[in-house]
Amino acid sequence: MRKKLLTMMAATMVAGFATSASIAQDMDLTKKETYDQITTWANEPLDTSKYKKDGDLTIGVSAGYLSNAWINFTGQAIKYEASLHPEIKEVKITDAAFNPTKQAADIEDLLTSGVDAILFWPVDEKAILPVLKKAHDQGVVTINIGYNYMHDDAVTSNAYVNQWTYAEQVATNFAKSLDGKGKVVAMLPIAGSSAAVVQLAVLQEVLKGYPEMELISSEYGDWDRAKAKQLTENLLQRFPQIDGAFSPAGQMSMGIYEAFDEAGRLDELTLSPGDDYNGWTKLVAKEGKWGSVTSGLEVGREAVKQAVKILTGQPTTTAVVVPTRYLEPAEAAKLHEADRPDDWFKTDLPAEFLPQ
Amino acid sequence: MSAAPSSHQAALRLPSLDRAAVWIVLVVLLLLAGLASDAFFKLNYLTNLVRQAAPIGIAAVGVTFVMLLRGVDLSVGAVVSMSAVVCAIVMDGKPGNLWLGIAAAAACGAAIGAANGLLIAFGKVSAFILTLGMSIVVYGLVQMGTGGTARGIVSPGFREVLNGRIGGVLPVLVICLLVAVAIGIFLQSRTRFGRSVYLIGANPEAARLAGLPVNRITVIAYAVSGFFAGLGGLALLARTGVSGTNPGAGMEFDVLAAVVLGGTTFAGGRGGVGGTFAGVLVLFIALNLANVAGLPFAAQLTIKGLIIIAASAAHSWIGRRASGRTQQ
Amino acid sequence: MRPFAAGAPAYQRLPRIYWALIALVLAGTIAAPQFRTASNIANILEQSGTLAVLAIGQAFVIAGGMIDLSVGQLVGLITVLSCMLFEAYPSMTLPVVAGCLGLAALVGLLNGELINRLRMSPLILTFGMLSVLQGCIFMLTDRSIGQAAPSVAFLSNGRLAGIPVSLFLVAAVAIVAYYALQRSVFGWHLLAMGNSADSSRKAGLNLAALTRIAFLVSGLCAGVAGLLVAGRLGTGFPNAGNGLELDAIVAVVLGGTPLKGGRVSVVGILGAVLFLGVLNNLLNLLQVPAFTQIVVKGAIVILAILADRPGRLAQAA
Repeated sequence: MRKKLLTMMAATMVAGFATSASIAQDMDLTKKETYDQITTWANEPLDTSKYKKDGDLTIGVSAGYLSNAWINFTGQAIKYEASLHPEIKEVKITDAAFNPTKQAADIEDLLTSGVDAILFWPVDEKAILPVLKKAHDQGVVTINIGYNYMHDDAVTSNAYVNQWTYAEQVATNFAKSLDGKGKVVAMLPIAGSSAAVVQLAVLQEVLKGYPEMELISSEYGDWDRAKAKQLTENLLQRFPQIDGAFSPAGQMSMGIYEAFDEAGRLDELTLSPGDDYNGWTKLVAKEGKWGSVTSGLEVGREAVKQAVKILTGQPTTTAVVVPTRYLEPAEAAKLHEADRPDDWFKTDLPAEFLPQ
Repeated sequence: MSAAPSSHQAALRLPSLDRAAVWIVLVVLLLLAGLASDAFFKLNYLTNLVRQAAPIGIAAVGVTFVMLLRGVDLSVGAVVSMSAVVCAIVMDGKPGNLWLGIAAAAACGAAIGAANGLLIAFGKVSAFILTLGMSIVVYGLVQMGTGGTARGIVSPGFREVLNGRIGGVLPVLVICLLVAVAIGIFLQSRTRFGRSVYLIGANPEAARLAGLPVNRITVIAYAVSGFFAGLGGLALLARTGVSGTNPGAGMEFDVLAAVVLGGTTFAGGRGGVGGTFAGVLVLFIALNLANVAGLPFAAQLTIKGLIIIAASAAHSWIGRRASGRTQQ
Repeated sequence: MRPFAAGAPAYQRLPRIYWALIALVLAGTIAAPQFRTASNIANILEQSGTLAVLAIGQAFVIAGGMIDLSVGQLVGLITVLSCMLFEAYPSMTLPVVAGCLGLAALVGLLNGELINRLRMSPLILTFGMLSVLQGCIFMLTDRSIGQAAPSVAFLSNGRLAGIPVSLFLVAAVAIVAYYALQRSVFGWHLLAMGNSADSSRKAGLNLAALTRIAFLVSGLCAGVAGLLVAGRLGTGFPNAGNGLELDAIVAVVLGGTPLKGGRVSVVGILGAVLFLGVLNNLLNLLQVPAFTQIVVKGAIVILAILADRPGRLAQAA
């Protein structure tokens, strides 16, 4: 009994400390200024002379995870782009399967096997820093790929999709499609991820300009169609009227659509533009409404091009920013491939570079 | 008057108390939930809840048999994922492939289950570790087979029919769950297989000496578990469509919690599919209640863990009092 | 009467895993040229430190015929907690370390107490505790948080004359464990309990105390492992401990310690840990596709458990 009491005391003390501990935020992801700053950083020229190498290049890819379609396509795009550059002799790929300890070991193994550059998307940005420092100290070029901009000495460059503009494109077109009126819900990605943080911040910012619109609930669907559907079913029970759903991720939008459909309330719903997920574009083609904002899939290929530029001493900017575009429903519908599965993206990849 | 008659009466009461326990908990929980939010008293909400629980419920029916046998099947999550992926790929969007896809999924599940059963029965190894290892292998195979993106397209009508409601009220998936439970109850009480499972679980050595084909029954039990997991994968596919290669991830925790709640503990020999069904309902109402009450997702994990511990302890306490034997 | 053959010299009883390790190393040297560089070997040793400590802790529990499935999440909890506290109280590194180790030991003790009081199978109790701990982690944070103290980072990543610092820690833990498990009265009693709980109870051994101590050690080792992970990652990542309990159990079983308990070999466990570290390293160096690596990992688990057959216990005196 005494031991149980001690445990409980210890736990409460720790919890007390924990809640009072301050969390250092490097960049405030909810402010537009952060993204303007990032764009400024990105456009600065990069001194590539110290990385110049002669001879064949070996590119290492440390994937934090390979378990979703977007990431898979990015990985394949990297392989394809590398095949277009004769200087690149070999591409070595490792997968950490959401395990940051494994990612650290993966990068160490890549360093051991000799690479000139490491392209990566981290399981966790902070957890990968110690091993990135090792890579940087050995003179290896490190390039971060994806939606998060890493501003650290250990990261040589970023191939980046500007989340703020991306979310802004979705939100403004969404508000327009509702004529600036109505009760809306938000379906966001994994809670705590930078994507979720920025999408909510942008939505709230845009909604300030539309006083007749109200955000009645934000849900975290984890980029999971089934979870989005389940959460939407619960929302439909709680709220008798939902006019619109803000969901930039097409995969989750499909779950929302199905929930409304099965509840017989599809007429109420206006969905925000989604992305270029094939399941979503098929839906757009079928319904004839609700457009898309491209998701920046070219970012993998840009990363490879950037790596080559740096390693051959060519002039380039500190980061490559891949633009996103809003597509009207008619244009978005063109992106769909009816004979391909939902979990797919339309790309220019030749057949041998498509997944499996 | 000797103590024998009263202890005899006590021994009679306690097993029925054990079986009734989970149903009592269910009613109490439902009342509590209703106090928290009157949505719980709406038929639509409840049927939707049960519909969400269908994949786990169906898989749990199969796992019940394995646990009655003092085993465990932790590969259900991976098998559910695999069956959903296989079904979608075989269906390939064509209406003619509908039943082929369903059969393929069930067959895959049964095959993995049989593999589990063979290794456990003849290798005499820990079911826990083996099925965990198998779940990794199955997950890896699915990833290899699909290249990491979910393939396949569901046949037209599959999703619509299964997600529909009969008479606008009763979801088809709920009927599927009830049918699975009915089959499970039939298996456990009306077939020799079912009776053997109970006997072996209660006392493996005695069963072996009595000449029961323990190894064969073990293999069949695991195959049954895999089969139901395959069906659970179909239910999941109907609800979620083709959207990922690992939709069943983490399901084994929920399934295990439901089975243990329902009275079938790791000790084996006691419990059954009826209890499992009640356990599934209790689990989902509890988790939904946590959601409605605004508890963070993290709390759900803790609740699941506490449920597993508390339910196991309670059921085995009742079991000890009923039969007078000491644990371990 | 001794319940196990303790008198045979060590080299005659070299655990089988070492033959597999030697074979693997030879194959690796031939197949991958960078394999046998000093820096690669140092990497492997450094990468294996966490698993070594965790597996040794698990050995205490398995030797007694029990199992501890909560250690993975306990590692995660300590990683997150220690980083949060390190960042909040940068000048109090040592007290934070002591506090975290203490908490880990307490959790282990709690496991042992619950098993004793509730008379539950360790399998279920620690399985439920796994969920409970995971929930606790996520109630603290849902993303990486905190910053590891420099000294802890040095412990995990630093090198002294090319040798990983963590190796010294692992060696110290291994030596203490060896004497505790294989050369002390406590160890004999623990193994006796693993061999036959009933006979041990009748012989007058205090099973409840043995259980408590075994789980306390397992928890403590998880705490040490948690600090190592914190140093390695530099931050508290909530999912850092996922699946580690299975890795630890596989390492113990591969090292020749049967799951049923009654025998234990610390040397064997270290060999198994090395084997797994070399295997992972080679899979990466040889560019084995990611998904194939997953299947290999699962197959190793199954093979390890199949190789752990009851027949080998027939060595008992």
